[in-house]
Amino acid sequence: MADVKTYLREWAMPHVLCPGCAHGIVMRGFLDAIDQLQIDQDKVAVVAGIGCSSRIVGYIDFCTLHGTHGRAPAFATGLKLARPDLHVMVITGDGDGLAIGGNHLIHAARRNIDMTVMLLNNSIYGMTGGQAAPTTPAGAVASTTPAGNTEPNFDACKLMIGAGASFVARVLAANPIEMSKVIADGVRHPGFSFIEIISDCPEYYGRYNKVGGGAEMLTWMARRDAGVAVPLSEKKFVEHVPSSPVPTGLTTGVLERDIRPVFTGVRKQEPQ
Amino acid sequence: MSEGTRGLLLSGVGGQGVILASMIVADALLNAGFDVKQSEVHGMAQRGGSVFSHIRWGEDVDSPLVPKGSAEVLAAFEWAEAIRWVEYVREGGAVVADIRTIVPPGACNDKRAWTERYPGIDAELFNDRQLKTRLVDAAATATELGNVRAANSVILGSVAAFLDVEQDHWEAAIERLVPRGTVEINLAAFREGREVAMARVPRPPIAPEGFSGPHQIDINHVWCKGCDICSRVCPEYCLAVDVDGRLNIINPEACTGCRLCELLCPDFAIEIHAPQTPAAMADANPAGGTT
Repeated sequence: MADVKTYLREWAMPHVLCPGCAHGIVMRGFLDAIDQLQIDQDKVAVVAGIGCSSRIVGYIDFCTLHGTHGRAPAFATGLKLARPDLHVMVITGDGDGLAIGGNHLIHAARRNIDMTVMLLNNSIYGMTGGQAAPTTPAGAVASTTPAGNTEPNFDACKLMIGAGASFVARVLAANPIEMSKVIADGVRHPGFSFIEIISDCPEYYGRYNKVGGGAEMLTWMARRDAGVAVPLSEKKFVEHVPSSPVPTGLTTGVLERDIRPVFTGVRKQEPQ
Repeated sequence: MSEGTRGLLLSGVGGQGVILASMIVADALLNAGFDVKQSEVHGMAQRGGSVFSHIRWGEDVDSPLVPKGSAEVLAAFEWAEAIRWVEYVREGGAVVADIRTIVPPGACNDKRAWTERYPGIDAELFNDRQLKTRLVDAAATATELGNVRAANSVILGSVAAFLDVEQDHWEAAIERLVPRGTVEINLAAFREGREVAMARVPRPPIAPEGFSGPHQIDINHVWCKGCDICSRVCPEYCLAVDVDGRLNIINPEACTGCRLCELLCPDFAIEIHAPQTPAAMADANPAGGTT
């Protein structure tokens, strides 16, 4: 395995993300996946919208585009149609992809265009000050819901399966090896691949909900996993996890994998 | 004890096929017209534990257990198991030992120097008791013949060379007991085992990468934000963040190179370097490892 730092814009580091933010772990997992795939750096195009997660494209040394809020799938669709030789990927957040950009996301999935969308779900609007997002679980505290969120939250994977994405997976940032394998799988998949990466926001979500810092949030995240348990060196890692009002039960792994006709923008030739 | 009763011991590690081998030996002795009793320990030794089997044969056998210091032959499918059971062999008896090594969990508690606690292979180790030691590289012989899974038949062939039982009886037992479709290869391996040359003592293994010494932990303090994830996930308590938020290596000797800190560092601030490549170690120490 090559050093993932060769894919970094080292002059831009250290990155802007808060101490303990799992988005950095996801960034590393993504670079690991690209390294596994051995794709030429110039053939990788990463499009991002606005938000903490979208800041990642500033630090990775591929063809990158920092687009407008929520419109990353739209930029990526145009890019893929113009340059089908590129591996087009989208890094987006839960606010970017599911709130303002929800429409673009579901229509990209419906068309089954060959791209990989990584949605980094930290359950809150981190960059703007910790407001409740569509992914904030009911009961969780955010700056706009000081008494606890009263609304139910999106299940992004169910949404994307419903919208017609042909590859849907959910992975945890706390499980970096699985994460990079699933991302690599998603890039290999022909068609629209959607990977929800459960990330965290220790600065707002962890602080408001008294979960703790980065280390505690990773453990908490792993404990929500209803799939394979992820012991992060259990012996001292699970001691101080406070109870949380947030419901448990996350299914991880590849949830949907199907081969469907891929949208290329070219009309099919009618048989004469 | 009935006069003329003789004993044989088979030992190995769970999963190697000791029980099937002992059934073949017992069957061959039955074919030869002896009264045979066999006893074994199994079940507890789910893959990895010590498995052994006693076989006694003669005119009329009363007990299946071989008394210490009375076995004709010890057939050991693994080197440490040969040492573990060698006291059962009578003076002047024979030890047939595979040069295969399977390090038991008990010898692994020091993750960086486990080879030191595994006994070195030595054909002259039992000379003081006038034992005939025969080292067999069964896996290599069976692989040459076409299937490594016939390795145990090579050992049985070597054992047969020390017992006066007709070849036909052995082959009938093998034909009856080995899985269907593997009879030919097992018979070939058995015949080869009678004549196979004494295996050369292998060079002690060089400690694999990751266990040859503590790994180097390289921290980039400019990128580190002191978030404490690495120190909390380290299973060996190598790292700690001090009150000023600076990450320190507090236990550099303990790093085993699991890379959990590196993989979970959001800031790309930790790099783990292997201490030395195995090739570099071999050059520095041509005699091999530390066994």
